[in-house]
Amino acid sequence: MEYASSHGAGMAFRTLSPEQIREIHSASCRVLEEVGVVVHHDEAADLLKRAGAYTGSDGRTYIPNTLVKRALATAPSRITLYNRLGEPALWLEKSNVYFGTGSDTLVYLDPFTGERRPWQSADVAMALQVVDALPNLDFVMSMGLLSDVDRRMINRAQYALMLKNSIKPQVVIAEDRGTVEDIFEMAAAAAGGKEALKHRPLFVLYCEPTSPLQLPFESVDKLLLAAENRIPVNFACGAVAGASTPITVAGTVVQANAEALCGLVVHQLKNPGAPFLYGYGDSPLDMRTMMAVYAVPEALLLQGCLCDLARYYSLPSWGYAGCGSSKVFDEQAVVEGTMFTLMGALQGCNLMHDVFYIESGRTGCLEMLVLTDEVVSRVRYLLKGVNTTPEYLAVEAIMRVGPGGNFLGDEHTARHFRESWGSTLSDFNNYETWAAGGSKTMGTRIREKLREIMDNYRPTPLAPDTEREIDGILRRAEERLGG
Amino acid sequence: MSSLKELIDLVIAGDVQGVKEATKRLLEAGEEPLRVINEALIPGINEVGVRFKEGEMFVPEMMMSAQAMKAGVELAKERIGGAEVPAAGKVVIGSVKGDLHDIGKNLVIMMLESSGFSIVDLGVDAAPEKFVQAVKEHQPHLVGMSALLTTTMPVMQEVIAALEKEGLRDTVKVIIGGAPVTREYTEEIGADGYAPDAGAAVELCKQLVN
Repeated sequence: MEYASSHGAGMAFRTLSPEQIREIHSASCRVLEEVGVVVHHDEAADLLKRAGAYTGSDGRTYIPNTLVKRALATAPSRITLYNRLGEPALWLEKSNVYFGTGSDTLVYLDPFTGERRPWQSADVAMALQVVDALPNLDFVMSMGLLSDVDRRMINRAQYALMLKNSIKPQVVIAEDRGTVEDIFEMAAAAAGGKEALKHRPLFVLYCEPTSPLQLPFESVDKLLLAAENRIPVNFACGAVAGASTPITVAGTVVQANAEALCGLVVHQLKNPGAPFLYGYGDSPLDMRTMMAVYAVPEALLLQGCLCDLARYYSLPSWGYAGCGSSKVFDEQAVVEGTMFTLMGALQGCNLMHDVFYIESGRTGCLEMLVLTDEVVSRVRYLLKGVNTTPEYLAVEAIMRVGPGGNFLGDEHTARHFRESWGSTLSDFNNYETWAAGGSKTMGTRIREKLREIMDNYRPTPLAPDTEREIDGILRRAEERLGG
Repeated sequence: MSSLKELIDLVIAGDVQGVKEATKRLLEAGEEPLRVINEALIPGINEVGVRFKEGEMFVPEMMMSAQAMKAGVELAKERIGGAEVPAAGKVVIGSVKGDLHDIGKNLVIMMLESSGFSIVDLGVDAAPEKFVQAVKEHQPHLVGMSALLTTTMPVMQEVIAALEKEGLRDTVKVIIGGAPVTREYTEEIGADGYAPDAGAAVELCKQLVN
């Protein structure tokens, strides 16, 4: 084996022991069977009932273990996501790692003036182009909540912007079934038809239960629609440990796992074999401020547990990276974002979102995108591990150079030095050269890079008739909603 | 024989069972119920408030103290024979129609109860008519609305419109909260106040009641 880590054994980080994984699985199954869930959706309740779940006079549906087992047996262990050009782009399986942004932040933090303001469509378009330009970011989400669009049209308008400003695969938030249907139609316009889109999925749909243990109507409705159309989907809540889930990491894992599995059961009953992403997040409640906070060590631990469970279940995994609780792009933001990105990569989380979230998800920070692009570049190099073939063990080179010699002039160095990790963002000059270049901090260099992307980068455009088709879908939705 | 001082310490410690036992012993020994409330249970919870502000105590501890205090007050009230124990104010509160999220709203309720407010909880998915009905029935000082989803936020405005239509708007102060709710939105829909977190919600309620 040349690289231990590419097979998930060497560099990978495991949070739980096999025994702990079985304990957690068993505890989650007990929750589904003994505590039950409340299902606010008739079709889903009916699917569960016909499959053998029991609904008591208390309104709770109790799900037996056999249903979980059956769902795990039919759910696919891998998903390929395609880009807008129809090319396979992300392989969600084993410990492959991919990174992307988040959705719907409330506040746009202007990287050049520091101004905080609501997002406009032009800001979202530009932010999406920045993600498209950065080579180490793999997928896009809607970035910011549009303040210049009719409230009922926000998700649709966001999706049109995603299609127009990036070719990268997408993760999509949609408020209801009608919105998903319009988004699916827009995606189909770009992907060459609905059947082509089902075969080559361009986006993942984000759905969530309401913790603790409730399946709201809209979420389940979307989950069923996704199953029907084979749109990859998750059922991942953002836990608030100490409020919506137990305060302990293990307790949150047990409940999160129960809720995700419950979503999986409904999903697989609707359409066995439809693609499902397993995951959950945690922003524990700070018991001083009553704020749900991002990127604390507990959140990283929870993600590690869920990645281990995902591999145990052979399901692709969903998680977080590159985000934090800081209010501005400062040292705390860098610490939190970098820790989450590195840990998520080591945990082997397949699809990590929320890169660029600060203020625990309320604010979107473009500087974090550029920073995390650099962090991911470092992390990907790490994950490759160490090549130990004879050419790399370099005994011949050591022989040539010999005691007291210098490798700088050897052919082995010339042959391989370009394989070393390199950066255009970090500074490796001596002090004098750095000072002569203007004593620029990392933050300054990041903003310069942002400026350069914003001024010069243009994403691959949509074909003009596809763009017209998408605008037509938006217009018809607007008319239908009476906007 | 328990002393009032011991009872104060038990409230601060959040010892529900201990407070019940000590309150019983004091009452059985002939202590005035109102004195037990006003000179032990209330000072106990007030001290908790002080320690919370100073960063010595945290919310879960405050919750336990509030439960302990309430248990004591219940026992004392039984002795008084149903007389009203004055509250800091009355709040009708709920998550608006379409929204099943109630973690934030429940936190606000717990914090308000800990500060002596009496609460009418409309639960989740509460329609404008439900708010109107509750205001008519309970005549609160305040109406609180919560929304986590941007799609349910407009219901807040519908509630305010419904209160106006029924001529009730001027009888209450309306406050709103939830992750996507902002100060600008508060002004936009004509609510009286907004709080970014549960602690601030308590301060806001105190200000609006006075």
